[in-house]
Amino acid sequence: MATNTTALASSKQKDSIIFKTVIYIVCTILAILSIAPFLVMLINSTRSTAQIMAHAVSFIPGKELGNNIKLLKTKKTFNALRGMKNSFIISASVTVLAVYFSSLTAYAIYTYDWKLKKAFFSLVMGIMMLPGTVTMIGFYRACYQFHLVNNRLMLILPAIASPMMVFFMRQYLEGALSLEIVESARIDGANEFRTFNTIVLPIMKPAMATQAIFAFVGSWNNYFLPMILLNKQESYTMPIMVALLNGDIYKTEFGCIYLGLSMTALPLIIVYLLLSKYIVSGVALGSVKG
Amino acid sequence: MKQKKLVNYSKFGYIFAIPFILAFLIFTLYPVCYTLLIGFTNHEGAIPPKLEILKDPLENFKYLFQKRPSGQMSYFLLGLITTARIWVINFIPQLGLGLLLSAWFTDNRVKVKGQGFYKVVFYLPNIITAATCAILFRTLFGYPIGPINDILKSLHILKEPYNFLLKKSPTRAIVEFIQCWQWYGSTMITLIAAVIGINPEIFEAAEIDGANRIQKFFRITIPSIRPVMLFTLVTSLIGGLSMFDIPMLLAQGGPDNATQTVAIYIYNQSFRKPYKYNRSAAASIILFIIIVGCSCLLFYLMRDKEAAKLEKLKKAEMKRNRLMARGA
Amino acid sequence: MKKIIASVLCFTMCAAMFAGCSSSDSTTTTAAGGNGGETTTEAAKSDPTTSEVQIGTGSIEIVVYAMSDEVPGMIEEFFKRNPDLADKYTINATVSNNDNQAYETKLNAALTAGGDLAPDLYVAEADYILPYTQGEFADFAAPYSSFIDDVDGKIKAADIAGYTVELGTNKGGDLVALCYQCTGGAFIYRRSIAKEVFGSDDQATVEAAIGAGTQSWDKFFEAAEALKAKGYAIVSGLGDVWNVCEKAAATPWVVDGKLNIDPMRMEYLDIAKKLIDGDYCNKTDAWQEAWYADMKDQSERKVFGWYGPAWLINYVIAKQAVDEATGFGDYAVCVPNVGFWWGGSWLLANKAAIENADKKDVIAKIVEWITLDCTENGLLYAWANGQISAAKDTVSSGTVMKMSDGSMDFLGGQNPFEIFVQATSYASAKCKCEYDSTLNGTWQEQAKQYAMGEKDKDAALNEFKDVAANAGITVE
Repeated sequence: MATNTTALASSKQKDSIIFKTVIYIVCTILAILSIAPFLVMLINSTRSTAQIMAHAVSFIPGKELGNNIKLLKTKKTFNALRGMKNSFIISASVTVLAVYFSSLTAYAIYTYDWKLKKAFFSLVMGIMMLPGTVTMIGFYRACYQFHLVNNRLMLILPAIASPMMVFFMRQYLEGALSLEIVESARIDGANEFRTFNTIVLPIMKPAMATQAIFAFVGSWNNYFLPMILLNKQESYTMPIMVALLNGDIYKTEFGCIYLGLSMTALPLIIVYLLLSKYIVSGVALGSVKG
Repeated sequence: MKQKKLVNYSKFGYIFAIPFILAFLIFTLYPVCYTLLIGFTNHEGAIPPKLEILKDPLENFKYLFQKRPSGQMSYFLLGLITTARIWVINFIPQLGLGLLLSAWFTDNRVKVKGQGFYKVVFYLPNIITAATCAILFRTLFGYPIGPINDILKSLHILKEPYNFLLKKSPTRAIVEFIQCWQWYGSTMITLIAAVIGINPEIFEAAEIDGANRIQKFFRITIPSIRPVMLFTLVTSLIGGLSMFDIPMLLAQGGPDNATQTVAIYIYNQSFRKPYKYNRSAAASIILFIIIVGCSCLLFYLMRDKEAAKLEKLKKAEMKRNRLMARGA
Repeated sequence: MKKIIASVLCFTMCAAMFAGCSSSDSTTTTAAGGNGGETTTEAAKSDPTTSEVQIGTGSIEIVVYAMSDEVPGMIEEFFKRNPDLADKYTINATVSNNDNQAYETKLNAALTAGGDLAPDLYVAEADYILPYTQGEFADFAAPYSSFIDDVDGKIKAADIAGYTVELGTNKGGDLVALCYQCTGGAFIYRRSIAKEVFGSDDQATVEAAIGAGTQSWDKFFEAAEALKAKGYAIVSGLGDVWNVCEKAAATPWVVDGKLNIDPMRMEYLDIAKKLIDGDYCNKTDAWQEAWYADMKDQSERKVFGWYGPAWLINYVIAKQAVDEATGFGDYAVCVPNVGFWWGGSWLLANKAAIENADKKDVIAKIVEWITLDCTENGLLYAWANGQISAAKDTVSSGTVMKMSDGSMDFLGGQNPFEIFVQATSYASAKCKCEYDSTLNGTWQEQAKQYAMGEKDKDAALNEFKDVAANAGITVE
């Protein structure tokens, strides 16, 4: 009897070791798959075109980074600093507007009892996922008619209505804000708008932080609408520049392309590594609601 | 009780929702209506003529489904099928991997070390600009010189460099791979959160009953996280239907339209000669209907079930009361 | 751990950016030391943080759209020569390559949107000039006669190549665009390979080998076979041959609204197939890295030659083959087997800009200087003699060509102007139509699919017809 259990236990242990090994192997392969393309990109951005032609993959960085930078600067359409600035202006404005007004709207839905509230919330959920593609034709033609093509505001202002974020903010408020706090603020004589700004917003900070990260990254990565709307080179965002990296007239270099790609990816990688804790928990938070 | 007290303040509900409503009306509703209108009109050409409803208002819609001169299915339908195909093939492994990893990472008997690291790494591709990923993969799969060809040649799998992006299925496969690669991490994290949310007592009870790992996974985990899986499915579907960046920048929708998604079709019809804004508006409307359908499904799935039940009961009771009153 | 990685990456990036800024000082010298073709590019960047060309310091902004920095570079030179104008105007240029028709899309959107951001001056290439001169965007283009006096007389005096005028004339007979280049094509070959395979590197030998002037491809493939035996590819990719077949056609894609496939273009399908099946080319795509790499001598199999006009030598090949190791001085030019022309940039002025009194004068001066001034002070002379870009190019003015000397070190001292001027006789506007941009791309794609064995000829033709029908062309 006793030997039997130990045998069983040891076989179980063996199973568990095999199982664990399988897990680690699979995870490591996936991890390599996730990192390898970026690694190739980073390393090749330090190698010359000739080196890349000879061996497209290398584990040792080359010494041609400076030269590649020089070559990249001859590409008139690619200017990382300007692209980042443009992308930053749009993304930061989008983030601020989206986070603030989504919180405000969510607060309106959560706190107050108004007649059309239900219909309104249904609408928010109904249009939650509407992608830019389907409204693009009307949006572009309208911008065209009102001479708003090329206007950055047309990429920024729509963020005021971010249904997805309103939805998540409302979910958060449900758990975090008790209406008694609002009540007591009223008794103290604060007006509604001030109550929201001074009392409710600080409570919402954690949700705002996660949503801000996603709004920022989403806007930063947006290619479709800026590509359609922005015609002037001085207002090109990062993704538009990346898209123009290929097939440049008169000169194209492998090293250059990898470097250009690296310059667009590196800021994101850095920000991600620094904020990964919040991002990963944000992804988790965002979806358990289903 | 609480709500009654707030009645005086209800006007603030409207006031605070005004910015949202205004922005929604201007930037979403108006474009949608305008798109709808354009779909029925003569709005085409580089400098479109005055907007007029066509004699046959459905002409643009009909064109979308008309066969090509060569007898093959229309480019729009082909685009819909291509989009659906790319999405399905990317979603199956994405969900499969997500489920597998979430089961492993939440297994309380085998504590996987370095979970945090793996999560961060798996999610990494999702944070990088899709445009960057597309161009990166285009370069990686370069022909005749490119890292993938280089690796395959040095491993003696290939003798000659292989032109991946010239062939339909490989190009589609690359798009599917990038989509899956970018999104499985996100799916995994979502599912892990869902699994953690399951009441641990259920698992404990199952263990006492002698359930093994696989039984627990299929009998408890999957049924419990079904709503989250559906949420993932619908959000992914809607995202997939509007897929543009990766197929466009990887292969320009080619080769031979093998990766021309509906979004690329819409773009090409309106921004390329002969500038068929009306045709692409019609295509947008069809896509819109499909997506709204999906959204409604999502809405239905995510509604508060308990609240809905209560509401129903309330309504039924009111109805009964009314009937009784009438009867009396 | 993550933070460490992040900070390391952060540091690398900052270092890279600083390196980029500090190294910009030395770039001018590097460019001058090399083939010199980059001088304009480098000089345009006085400020290392801005990449778009900002020329002039004045308060009136002239918006320029171009698919390369060639024209912005010319305007910069113009302002250098006219400092008083530079104080009054600022040039704001948007430069975008036309990969996947990116430039056309941007230009069209900017033109139709109008307003302050509309282009005042814009450039269009041979592949898509017609929509802007005769097609849907023709209304934006101002006739040259509305801002330049005696255009006809000046054209005659400069002896401007006929096809450039023809393509630049709108349906009402007004000239609205002119090209500063003349883009008759030649065959540009490697001397060392010619010596090894054909016994001599002189023009006549190679011309005999490829069947110069025969208007057929028979000798070409014989030469290809001989080259292949010695381990060389005759051309880099299919696209190189396409440029010849496209322009050698006598009829355009669309005649009276109906699709028309010229026999020359039809033959391209077979030529492409033969090139691939016989393994005579390196299977590269034009304007992609591997194509450039062939020019740099970096691929496994060296390429014998390229079909192209003078600009292909100066702005493309010479920028890759910068030293003797990669072929500098090892090139020569000869008459091609089939006559053709390729490319060229036309300059157009927006009507709205001409109506603006502030802008009219300066635009008139710029346009005239670039396209019509056939004196030694004009751009054409400077362009032909390599004064601006340090690269000699054939220009549209016959008068200027006679005044210029085209001998180049890159070609081992050969003067290619005679061959290129002769090639102009093949240059005709007859093969062009407004649909070229779309249809040329599709035809090449389908030819490639067919040549690479992905589909049969009928399937390729059907697909092409479907695309044409979708673009609104009648297909029979």
